[in-house]
Amino acid sequence: MTKYIVRRLLQAIPVVFLISVVCFFLMLLAPGGPQAQFNQNRFVTQDQVNAWLQHWCLVRNPGPLDMLKEYGGWLGVWNCHAGSLLSDQNLPNFLPGFLGGGDNGMLHGDWGISIYLNQPVADVILGRLPVTMLLMTTAWIIWLTLALLLGVMAAVKRYSIFDQIVTFFSYTFYSLPTFWLGLMLIYIFAVSLHWFPSQLIQSPRISPGPFASSVWWTAFWTNPGKYGWDVAMHLVLPVTTLVAVSVAGDSRFVRSAMLESLNQDYVRTARAKGLGERRVIFRHAFRNALLPIITNGALEVAFLFSGAIVTETIFSLQGMGYLFIQGLQAHDYFLLMGIVFIGAILVVVFNLVADVLYAVADPRIRYD
Amino acid sequence: MTSRIELPLGVEASVQSTGPGPERSDDVEVALKSLGQWQLAWKRFLRHRMALVGLAVFSAIALIAIIGPIVAPYNPIDIPGAKEQGGDPPTLQHIFGTDDAGRDVFTNIINGAHISLAVGLFSTLIAGVIGVIVGALAGAAGGFTDNVLMRIVDVTFAVPLLFLILVAAVFFGQGSVISLILVFGLLQWGLIARLVRAQFLSLRETDFVEAARAVGVSNLRITFRHILPNALGPVIVVMTLLMASNIVLEAFVSFLNFGIAATEPTWGNALSNSQGAMGDGNWWWAFFPGMCIALTVISINFIGDGLHDALDPRARL
Repeated sequence: MTKYIVRRLLQAIPVVFLISVVCFFLMLLAPGGPQAQFNQNRFVTQDQVNAWLQHWCLVRNPGPLDMLKEYGGWLGVWNCHAGSLLSDQNLPNFLPGFLGGGDNGMLHGDWGISIYLNQPVADVILGRLPVTMLLMTTAWIIWLTLALLLGVMAAVKRYSIFDQIVTFFSYTFYSLPTFWLGLMLIYIFAVSLHWFPSQLIQSPRISPGPFASSVWWTAFWTNPGKYGWDVAMHLVLPVTTLVAVSVAGDSRFVRSAMLESLNQDYVRTARAKGLGERRVIFRHAFRNALLPIITNGALEVAFLFSGAIVTETIFSLQGMGYLFIQGLQAHDYFLLMGIVFIGAILVVVFNLVADVLYAVADPRIRYD
Repeated sequence: MTSRIELPLGVEASVQSTGPGPERSDDVEVALKSLGQWQLAWKRFLRHRMALVGLAVFSAIALIAIIGPIVAPYNPIDIPGAKEQGGDPPTLQHIFGTDDAGRDVFTNIINGAHISLAVGLFSTLIAGVIGVIVGALAGAAGGFTDNVLMRIVDVTFAVPLLFLILVAAVFFGQGSVISLILVFGLLQWGLIARLVRAQFLSLRETDFVEAARAVGVSNLRITFRHILPNALGPVIVVMTLLMASNIVLEAFVSFLNFGIAATEPTWGNALSNSQGAMGDGNWWWAFFPGMCIALTVISINFIGDGLHDALDPRARL
């Protein structure tokens, strides 16, 4: 199993490398660039813009060679400040720092500096990660529980009123645009009823500092109830938005997996043996229906990550999805690369988790 | 005198007797007409009630998209000024209300319909054509070609696609409908290519392909006459669902102001403009465009559901 995991991770390296190439060149090839923010500013001269770009190791209207250099700088192969493939120690730049290589680029663990925020990309992302993680984990747990409950019950009571209601709602919610659902929830529950807040992750009035920063944690431990409750209230609408759409699709999925399992011979055998219905459903049918559900559940983490873009934008949550949108608006190459890179790693890891869990849950599957 | 006999699978027969009575059996002519795959599929589709409703609703929306702008009650860019600040709620004159500039929301929806539908349809067609070509090439050629093509597909699956689409839309979209269609289409063919390739791999092993090969049919003919038509069923279903999701995607990208230029009256732009109005309680401004998107998507999804049942070759009539 360990060998399998290592092999899979090694196979993922070229794919992640290719996606970084595609994404970087996509951004470089497009007209405009981060210098567009100076377009309307008549106090900034062209020379100043060029110097500013050079500070970021970028050039205006890059040719193919310039693009390669810029990408090499991001990756860590190109020593941009010396303008060569060699590091300051005159050794190949891609070598690790202690072997005389450079210190810039992903290969050396340097994610670059955000053009828009003028802070290291890794720090910015780490600061925004807690909100996204909290949002995604909460949504993921609720979503999985609900999908399982609704799907299994709909399958067991097939064609009943309950089944038809679940079917109707899942078709409807599945077709609703997520962001529009979010807007409607804001209108109903925040604007009209004043039940839940519609913006941010905590109320500015009682907020001790940015969410999950050290200041925040210190304040949190003095009064967990107050700060926890505040964050929980702010999570209700975003999580509902995120969950509603995914549950709609996945309760159908659970239902069909469960139905297939209920039609198998071993379920009939279990019933024939005289086992109780509850035992037949949960010990025999459900355990076998779990296989496709587990795979699907792990794969949907990547889907939730893109769902975070939608919900964080609508509810102004300072997470990674919102950061991504801000980076897009500012044409911030390095920030965008950092977030896409995290997305790629999430996909690789959870694809692997899905396959490993599959083998754990199904003893017939072996990976060696 | 014509009597019809119910025959089970894909065969229609009519019995015409020329003589005066049924006892003159030697004068009875039996004409058998077998139904083609597509006729059978159409018959199965007609049995799917929700799909028919979906088709009717979608046709109505498509009709509105085409002739709507001609018969729309107001000029979409006519700005008479709203009576109330932030737009008037729905009244008999403006059944969906007006936005803050006093533009009729209903008129804007009608004028935006063709853009939404065009983005959904054409981006899906581009993705479909590229996907079928690449998938068929990979499935039919196998070996090195297959490997290279599938690694390219892997790359588009290596990140949540929304990220890549947003990057491409922001950097290349520039507010034009055609570039948005291209961005969607060129980034989404991977799924269809995978599907077509999988179909090719499984159909290649079937008996009828084996039989065709045994009687000496050329590889080219086997690919185009025997495998491709059978592989198309699932592709059409997936393309239907893709079209629905692309309509939502267009609205979302425009909602973020990264899509079609804000001056165009698209559904996404209508929602984008309304984002601030929601806080003031002007719900109609966002509600109706969103409902239109939802209605379109639901009807397309039901059509897809019907097609799924209809195009399944194992299904009986």
